Amino acid sequence: MSRVQALAEAGHPLSRRSFLVAATGGALAFGFMRFAGAAMDPAVPGNTPAAALGPEFAPGLWFSIDSEGTVSVNIIRAEMGQHVGTALARILADELEADWQRVRVIYVDTDPKWGLMVTGGSWSVWQTFPVFSRAGAAGRIALIEAGAKLLGVSPAQCTARAGKVIAGSRSIAYGEIARRGGPARSFSAEELARLPLKPVAERRLIGRPTQALDIARKVDGSGLYGIDAKVPGMVYARPKLPPTRNGAKVVSIDDHAARAVKGYRQCLALDDPSETVPGWVLVIADSYPAALRASQLVQVQWTAGPGADVSEPQLQDHARTLIDRADAGVRLDVGSEDPAPLFQSAASTVEQVYTTATVLHFQLEPVNALAFEKDGVMEIHTGNQWQSLILPTLAKALGRAETSIVLRTYLLGGGFGRRLNGDYTVPAALAAKALGVPVKLVLTREDDCHFDSVRSPSVQRVRMAFGADGEVQAMEHHACAGWPTQVMAGALLSKGLDDGRYDPFAIAGADHWYDVGRQLVRAIPNDLANSSFRPGWLRSVGPGWTNWALESFMDEAAHHVRQDPLAFRLKLLNGKGRNAGSAPSAVGGALRQAEVLRRAAQRAGWGSALPKDSGLGIGTSFGQERDMPTWGACVARVRVDRASGKVTVEKLTIVVDAGTIVDPDGALAQTQGAALWGLSMALHEGTEFVNGQVRDANLNTYTPLRINDVPALDISFVDSAEVPVGLGEPATTIVAPAIANAIFAAVGARVRDLPITAAAVRAALAT
Amino acid sequence: MVAGAALALAWRPALAPIAPPPAASFAAPQIARGAVLASAGYCATCHTAKGGQPYAGGYAMETPFGVIHSTNITPDVETGIGAWSEAAFGRAMREGVARDGSHLFPAFPYEHFSRLSDDDIAALYAYFMTRPPVQAEAPRNTLPFPLNVRLLQAGWKLLFFRPQRDEPRADRSAEWNRGAYLAEGLAHCGACHTPRNALGAERRAQAYAGAAIDHWIAPPLDASNPSPVAWDVDELVAYLSTGVTRYHGTVAGPMAAVTRGIAQLPPEDIRAIAVYFADLDGAAARADATPAAVATALARSAAGGDDAGAPLYAAACASCHYNGADGVNPLRPELALGSAVHLDDPTNLIQVILFGIDALDGAPGVVMPAFGRALSDADVARLAAYLRATRTDRAPWPDLDKKVAQVRATAPGAE
Amino acid sequence: MTTRFTINGRAATSEAEGDTPLLWIIRDDLGLTGTKFGCGIGMCGACTVHVGGRATRACITPLAAVDGAAVTTIEGLDPQAAHPVQQVWRELQVPQCGYCQSGQIMQTVALLQDFPQPTDADIDAVMAGSLCRCMTYVRIREAIKKAAAAMAPAAAPGASS
Ligand code: FES
Ligand code: FES
Repeated sequence: MSRVQALAEAGHPLSRRSFLVAATGGALAFGFMRFAGAAMDPAVPGNTPAAALGPEFAPGLWFSIDSEGTVSVNIIRAEMGQHVGTALARILADELEADWQRVRVIYVDTDPKWGLMVTGGSWSVWQTFPVFSRAGAAGRIALIEAGAKLLGVSPAQCTARAGKVIAGSRSIAYGEIARRGGPARSFSAEELARLPLKPVAERRLIGRPTQALDIARKVDGSGLYGIDAKVPGMVYARPKLPPTRNGAKVVSIDDHAARAVKGYRQCLALDDPSETVPGWVLVIADSYPAALRASQLVQVQWTAGPGADVSEPQLQDHARTLIDRADAGVRLDVGSEDPAPLFQSAASTVEQVYTTATVLHFQLEPVNALAFEKDGVMEIHTGNQWQSLILPTLAKALGRAETSIVLRTYLLGGGFGRRLNGDYTVPAALAAKALGVPVKLVLTREDDCHFDSVRSPSVQRVRMAFGADGEVQAMEHHACAGWPTQVMAGALLSKGLDDGRYDPFAIAGADHWYDVGRQLVRAIPNDLANSSFRPGWLRSVGPGWTNWALESFMDEAAHHVRQDPLAFRLKLLNGKGRNAGSAPSAVGGALRQAEVLRRAAQRAGWGSALPKDSGLGIGTSFGQERDMPTWGACVARVRVDRASGKVTVEKLTIVVDAGTIVDPDGALAQTQGAALWGLSMALHEGTEFVNGQVRDANLNTYTPLRINDVPALDISFVDSAEVPVGLGEPATTIVAPAIANAIFAAVGARVRDLPITAAAVRAALAT
Repeated sequence: MVAGAALALAWRPALAPIAPPPAASFAAPQIARGAVLASAGYCATCHTAKGGQPYAGGYAMETPFGVIHSTNITPDVETGIGAWSEAAFGRAMREGVARDGSHLFPAFPYEHFSRLSDDDIAALYAYFMTRPPVQAEAPRNTLPFPLNVRLLQAGWKLLFFRPQRDEPRADRSAEWNRGAYLAEGLAHCGACHTPRNALGAERRAQAYAGAAIDHWIAPPLDASNPSPVAWDVDELVAYLSTGVTRYHGTVAGPMAAVTRGIAQLPPEDIRAIAVYFADLDGAAARADATPAAVATALARSAAGGDDAGAPLYAAACASCHYNGADGVNPLRPELALGSAVHLDDPTNLIQVILFGIDALDGAPGVVMPAFGRALSDADVARLAAYLRATRTDRAPWPDLDKKVAQVRATAPGAE
Repeated sequence: MTTRFTINGRAATSEAEGDTPLLWIIRDDLGLTGTKFGCGIGMCGACTVHVGGRATRACITPLAAVDGAAVTTIEGLDPQAAHPVQQVWRELQVPQCGYCQSGQIMQTVALLQDFPQPTDADIDAVMAGSLCRCMTYVRIREAIKKAAAAMAPAAAPGASS
């Protein structure tokens, strides 16, 4: 089972099947219904959806048409910069033949009827495309039938276009059909499966430029983010964070000095049955500045949990020890015999160790949540990426049924995986329950960083065996890191060989599409990391480190056998056997990866002469997972200052094949952002654990990429009608290895630790 | 005998109290002129407590010797100067003796005011006697014994007080002489900008050589001023009348109130002061060097540097403190040109970084935010060191971390 | 202590402590939430407003410092949200999550006042204080240049373009 299916089935009471069924209906009954769950429409002031006008046509879950012809598309995904509502609505509207000017999107609240609610893994378009295409097609057919009846013609004489059913010179608008009673139509499961989807040539919205519906409110300040949520009578809370993420206990609280602060109310030590925020103390005040002032005066004594003195070197040393132990971790089923014997007989071998440092999410909006009880329901207003994951935790923390908790999802001031983990909702809800008033919890930036579910540091060992004429015979990839899925969503672990369970998110990428003969991929949990902090999913998750090792190593292997790094890779991306790819999402397999690689190399002038101390380097990837490959390649051009070791990235050339591109400008924006994230993590970010805490907690020392260090970008997409796959993350992981390989090409210095520091380049130059 | 002379000087007679003269007894133009003079002497700055009534005194001045509180100079009979005759007022201004014969501390710059013309004294008297009287007793001073003995002030006067008379210099223009009269007298510039000796008296030999005052550095106003660009008349006029200059940045700290006051003077008076100080600064001799100095400064800023302070500066400072190739915008103060990074003492730079500049001070309506709560001592030290290294060719400041902590501790309300 | 200032042209007073960061007065007391909180230390630019027409980080500006000043937020930049910079921002679809964009726009408006035709170096220096975690920098730069062109005084009559 793919990790996506696993996620769907285990993540929520509704299984993947019922998700799909709910989407398109076993027998989709059409009728009039209002959606009580409508929450946020980022395209209207205040983000409150306007009420529907007149009777509505609401076929199933996903959309409704009111009597004015306004099509409201329900979006279960969180908007965090991907313009996801626009992309998804256009899929539906295209099949529906809706008038795009009359389409609006509504970001719904958590209601069991929506099934799994998660926004991550670059899955949204890929998962939604089949569902929304069918929903739109069903609507179109029903409207044509109803429209034909009202026009007194046969459905066969009618077409639908731009929100109207048309028969010759006569037409009737969708709104009018809805007003006059709407279609009464149901489809059997078989009918739904056979629904004629429009041929690609007939698409009118998919793949065409458009203005995303969320843009305007992000330009005039009216878009509402979680931090903007408010209700009358709310109090503000700022936490006093315990010394450790896990297992801390409050010994004493002294708020004597804080009592002099105007507006200070009290300190609240949280009692959390869900163990999400052990040892948390909230400082409550009438205003946020008062909470800040008071929190500086409150003294709390704790007993620390595990990891109070853990350091980055300890975490990395522990990982090295585990990698050296043959029995540690889980081997993935990559359909291969054990490669170990080939390493004995090989003509030559190469082995290298790669590391990545701890990385912060640093999404610009610090995590926050507003919680209050209303009409027997605990309402939580916040930005969140995985409502279905945190609801059961909230239920446990609050001691109430999931059905009496609702999350209203606002715009997210950045997700990047941080808000997949909804832990920050728990303290707000606990406080609202304890105090009986609405509580608005806002973390300062420093709090946010210390409470972050960081990207775990990692250590990887990669080796390859070669025959006498340099052909690749075998490869092993051992990766050790903290496992976010083990810590936060254990049910989603995948099955490996020998009944082992592993975190698919923490190893994806190592199971690549290169034909390397016998292959071993081993995923090893860093239990010290897992107990000391809460490892998180961070943009691209595992490939953020696995691809760093893999693509750096591919370069080293190519140089070992004296081959051009591009030619070396192309030869291994032969699309044979397991790497041939399969329908629906991976048609073409490794050959599509070879193609993007070829194109990127050509655009970047691979092989042409460069000035002294400049070089080109390659990195490529299939994105997040073999089930849903997004083929990407990057060529980086860098200049290295030998004296200082400073690396300047001059240009990134990126080619992506993501199948059908639904929203071209959105796709470009996502790829631009992802590529620059990759650059940021390659050269500008990275922190370390010191005494159980990350060393950097704000921008005075944590230095994400800024505008003055942005290189030239050349990004292009392969024109394709294949299944649309994900775009939010894949470009992230190809940049760092491309830079490292370019540094090697420029000055012959090999760096194996991420981030790449000037000192490391200097040191590599000296050897 | 010295002691006898001291004693003789020490005993000054009380002058008879009077009934406060009715406001109508002063001519309106005279009162108006007094108002301008009071502004230019920024009397209100020292004679108004924080948040208190204008001129009612009680403002605490920290001196190396202890805290002194200013007195109430409203015409309240009991606690102010309501019972003072013009003669008593004039004696206080010029000799530092209160109506009752007691000696005033030299924190009150009577040394400078001794230069004032009779007309100016009269105008000031008219102005103060027509303010609303406020009943307010000054708080007790915290000067330690024996400095708190006002009688001893007589000895101090004997040692240091040389009443000044306005003696125009024949070899200078009338404008220069007017400037000297205002600067030396009413504006009492030397009170801050001239170093003082161990007993708190201005060192005349080092007039305008710069001094530490009120947790700030009052920079030198003579040719030893370290700004790369000379203080010429135009720069000084801009500074004194608007608080902002192209090449010397904006006014900050205690000087802000001074420029606000001087800005009330007629333009020709401001210009006269500028002419006077431009001469002291030797600006004419240095004028030719200005374009080169500006070019050097811009090049230094553009080059920046790669050390630990660079990313801090880029993220926290450059969005305001950056000037392009086309020169310096006075509202984007060019740090490579301002005196703060060039002074031997980093205090002023640290002050501004930590506490910012209010809308009222410096460029009017514009704010420099306060990084005090945002950045640690180490961060501020890194920034200061970065600026010193990249914007000047002067020796690094020693012990910056400690210095930042010291300046931080002077914040109002700091523990 | 009472602090008096104007916000988007309207008089405002606050009784909050003088050292309260202006940001929270704007967001929580005045309800203008377009101005965002990102770092609280003046290094991300999300909280950028104009004080006296100059881009100013509200998170580290003490309330007392704006006594007597004129403050403008994203909501007050233009009554129809049609400032040329906003128009170009929409046209080029600059925002991703959007959280930094109020600050980016306010900073850009200030930049263009001082540098009507900014060079890349000008943009680098002035905009480096405005972090975009979604990394929309390519579009920000493009939009600044486009806005500069749109705001340039119309070519002299008779001049060919
Ligand atoms: S919140 Fe003010 S600069 Fe970051
Ligand atoms: S658009 Fe998300 S931080 Fe800039």
